[in-house]
Amino acid sequence: MNDALMRRIRPEQFREVILLIVTIGLVLFFATQIDSYFAPRSINRLTMGLAITAVVAVGQVFVVLTRNIDLSVSSIVGMSAYIVGTMLTRDNAMHPLVAVLIALVIGIILGSVNGWLVAYGGVPSIIATLGTLALFRVVLVEFSGAKSVTTAELPNWLNDIPGFAVFSVAGYDLRLLVAIAVVVAILGQLTLKYLPFGRRLYAIGSNPDAARMAGLPAQRDIFLAFVICGALAGLAGFMFLVKFGNITVTAAQGLELQVVAAVVVGGVSTLGGTGSVLGAMLGVLLIEVLQQSLLRWAGVSEFVKDAILGLMILVAVTADSILLNRLRASWVRTRRKDKAKAMAMTEGAVQ
Amino acid sequence: MFKRRALVVAMAGAILLGNAGMVALAQDAAEATKGQDVKMMLLPKFLGILPFDQANQGAEEAAKELENPTAFDFVGPTAENSVAGQIEFMTNAPTGGYKVVMLSNNSGDQIVPAAEAAQAAGTKVVTWDSPIPDGKGESLFVAQVDFTETGQVMADMALSILGEEGGEFAILSASPDAANQNAWIAAMEEALKDPKYANLKMLEIVYGDDQSEKSYEQAQALIAKYPDMKLIMAPTSVGIVAAAKALQDEGLCEDVKVSGLGVPAEMLEYTMNGCAPEFALWSFVDLGYLTYYVSYMLATGAIKGEAGEKFVAGRMGEYEITQDPTRPDVEALRVLMGPFTVYNKDNVEAAAK
Repeated sequence: MNDALMRRIRPEQFREVILLIVTIGLVLFFATQIDSYFAPRSINRLTMGLAITAVVAVGQVFVVLTRNIDLSVSSIVGMSAYIVGTMLTRDNAMHPLVAVLIALVIGIILGSVNGWLVAYGGVPSIIATLGTLALFRVVLVEFSGAKSVTTAELPNWLNDIPGFAVFSVAGYDLRLLVAIAVVVAILGQLTLKYLPFGRRLYAIGSNPDAARMAGLPAQRDIFLAFVICGALAGLAGFMFLVKFGNITVTAAQGLELQVVAAVVVGGVSTLGGTGSVLGAMLGVLLIEVLQQSLLRWAGVSEFVKDAILGLMILVAVTADSILLNRLRASWVRTRRKDKAKAMAMTEGAVQ
Repeated sequence: MFKRRALVVAMAGAILLGNAGMVALAQDAAEATKGQDVKMMLLPKFLGILPFDQANQGAEEAAKELENPTAFDFVGPTAENSVAGQIEFMTNAPTGGYKVVMLSNNSGDQIVPAAEAAQAAGTKVVTWDSPIPDGKGESLFVAQVDFTETGQVMADMALSILGEEGGEFAILSASPDAANQNAWIAAMEEALKDPKYANLKMLEIVYGDDQSEKSYEQAQALIAKYPDMKLIMAPTSVGIVAAAKALQDEGLCEDVKVSGLGVPAEMLEYTMNGCAPEFALWSFVDLGYLTYYVSYMLATGAIKGEAGEKFVAGRMGEYEITQDPTRPDVEALRVLMGPFTVYNKDNVEAAAK
């Protein structure tokens, strides 16, 4: 790699570029395999498929940055979708914004359970949220009386949202759900990049002990990260209800793996302190492209698809980490060279 | 050998029990004796969908009628954990003191060892909705409809929707392990061999695992993959609504139709707007009711679970236990409920209430 380039860009910034290149490569490959791959209908389907995962992934970034993880998100999505769906079934006249608010409140309550356990209870997040993943789901199964929410009983406005486009160019829509996801992602990126709270999350994740010694309110910030993650999962639950209409108690089961995969593929380190919402969004895009394309690829049997998906995620992550290590090494070399040169020059000047 | 011993035991039991037993022997069709204490478990494929909830209602109705002092337990795994969860419930049933497990099997033959162990420990296993394919560990199967007939009904609905000129269709099933789904699809493929259906071309079978979102995505993928596809046949109540919603969201109801097995209350909208002009089902309430009767009578010894036995199941009348003709290769017994109702614009509204 060119030394001049190395002086300007940090290796982590390459990661997003690499991801983008991999995704574009995949898209081009599948475009040769699948008919009308770029047709408006296909693209609209893809963006609609992204929206829910994206919103949950933004919340997950907040948590993973602090060197924690939230596995319970899928149960929060399911619970929010189910409860809001049931309430709307009972009261068709409820205002849409009230419904969204209820979804957010459900998310905030469940998120604070997680946050409290991890930040103040000292339970490792993987254990705590694995527990609440099962717990929230069981509570839902038990208290729902095993009934399901169906499209037929929901108010009409709700069933109209999935097809509603904020604007549309030549058949390519920006659907309302996608617009919500975009706004959430932008707000998330800005918060992490510019607000003191966001910067503190990076500090806490990089070195929790040092952050605490430096007097950062680590416990409160970790708690807040989980609350934000829960709130966004609650919002995603509302979107889930809107998109699928028919909600059973198992709604969104398995979503947590997809979200964690997307976030990790997107370069947010599970060791905390590195990554961005932008990267995570690229991860979501990559995985959704893979998933939807494999579903549509006539050449592959139903059962091989999961294996291919798993393999491709592995390849993406491995390639990414190998490339990144190389880049980092060469970046360090360049820096050393520069330093040595500078040293030699100063020494020369002294003499 | 076994049968003779069973007969001796039954006769001894009849003498000991006096009246109750005498009725069974003297009359052609056995009747249940009310008020006996039998701990029972109703184990659907998983919890959380309307058909199983309706079966639960039917079973509750029968339990009340039979005055069983111990309420039965309606338990089940979640959809994702269905196979392992069912096996676990079955394994623990004898230690839980259950005399009968009423099972809608979603675990294929994987549940056989657990079911056989339960039988050996004195717990009867009555399947309903979906049987144990090779019949092992199963006392008998309460079939909602004849499985061959299901295939025929699905083929007929496809023909009636696609018309004489026919067209391509795909099947959206539940999970690859579901015995009933697989049997229906096989029966439909068999029925399609008739020259009458020569213009119907099946493309692919995909699985939505009875999860709403997965079924929705599978339906979308089918639409994208096969532009000429005219019909999605979904013999699952979750799959059929998910597919209908996917088509409606895409604005494709004019070009692609949905059919299969669905619950009228959930399908009303799609049948009225033409997305799903025809679908079929039986009453899950009745199925739960009948299953409870059979299981109760089996556990109390009113019937022994042998081919040729007749019994009265409350309001539903008289039934006979026969060899299961849809599983000719294995030793399996069946009680056939029936009939099928095909729903369309004319009758779906009344049924949805």
